Amino acid sequence: MASNPMQQFTVHRIGPEIKIAGVDLSFTNASLFMVISASIIILFLFLGSKEKKIIPDKLQLITEMFYTFVAKMISDTAGSKAKPYFPFIFSLFMFVLLCNMVGMLPYSFTVTSHIIVTLIMALFIFVAVTIIGFIKHGFKYLTIFVPSGVPAVLLPLITVIEIISYLSRPVSLSVRLFANMMAGHTMLKVFGGFVVSLGVLGGWLPLSFSVALTGLEILVAFLQAYVFAILTCIYLNDALNLHH
Amino acid sequence: MNTPNDFKTRLKIAKSKIKKNDISDNEKRGSFMGNAFKLGTELVAAVAVGTIIGFILDTWFDTKPWLIIIFFFLGAAAGMLNVIKAANRMQKED
Repeated sequence: MASNPMQQFTVHRIGPEIKIAGVDLSFTNASLFMVISASIIILFLFLGSKEKKIIPDKLQLITEMFYTFVAKMISDTAGSKAKPYFPFIFSLFMFVLLCNMVGMLPYSFTVTSHIIVTLIMALFIFVAVTIIGFIKHGFKYLTIFVPSGVPAVLLPLITVIEIISYLSRPVSLSVRLFANMMAGHTMLKVFGGFVVSLGVLGGWLPLSFSVALTGLEILVAFLQAYVFAILTCIYLNDALNLHH
Repeated sequence: MNTPNDFKTRLKIAKSKIKKNDISDNEKRGSFMGNAFKLGTELVAAVAVGTIIGFILDTWFDTKPWLIIIFFFLGAAAGMLNVIKAANRMQKED
């Protein structure tokens, strides 16, 4: 039944088929787990910030911890000019983190293990950062493709390389998250399959690996959300503070 | 005698100790692993993007193998540039 390690990534429809103008908009298990992650965030933050005690209880403490964590990350990497973008980066971080963490539960579905989800988020960030850059600096924003102190002979070559480097941002951002999540979950499933096939006698070694990998995967789930958010901050920093 | 000055220096030492432990134990290790994950994809993504650009331009201008070859190498250069930039950023953080 669970012999295929890639089976966990299949998207299937839940409920009736909805088609609008030839586009399939049915509610799938992916949509379900996105809704679950988003509702957990909203519920958790709502309950955590409901009573503003001077001596916080555990829930409020965790909420405040997340807030200061993201606020510190933004001010460290992008400076005070990036303050207005705090809500966006905070929701992005929380959404990726919760999608990764909900995916760690047995029988659940990892939304971020699909490249289309991560690519859309990365492309949104890429387009938004580019627009912010053009709004803040006008056509001077194009100077990020022209590094200072380059000889005129090399300038066309360097500019092309810089443009490719700029365009590779959404790809590296999305592929990193997607590949880490998919590889980790496939590996967990493969080791789980070993436990079943080797039985009571030989299954203990892969079982111990499985336990260790689960710990590693929880670390990766947090780390990838952190990396995703911090790179967004870095890109935002490049757009807000043009160094040249 | 124990003066306020004495207390201040002791507080300073204690504070710096706390700071050191915090950074070296948890945050540093986490950020190191984050950096390690970052660099690999940074290198590969630029090569992929360069090759795709070369492929698209080739079909536009009908110069089949040439632009894809040129842009593959430009993409590789861009990937190295990405890694150098990321490494510079890491050094600045420390």
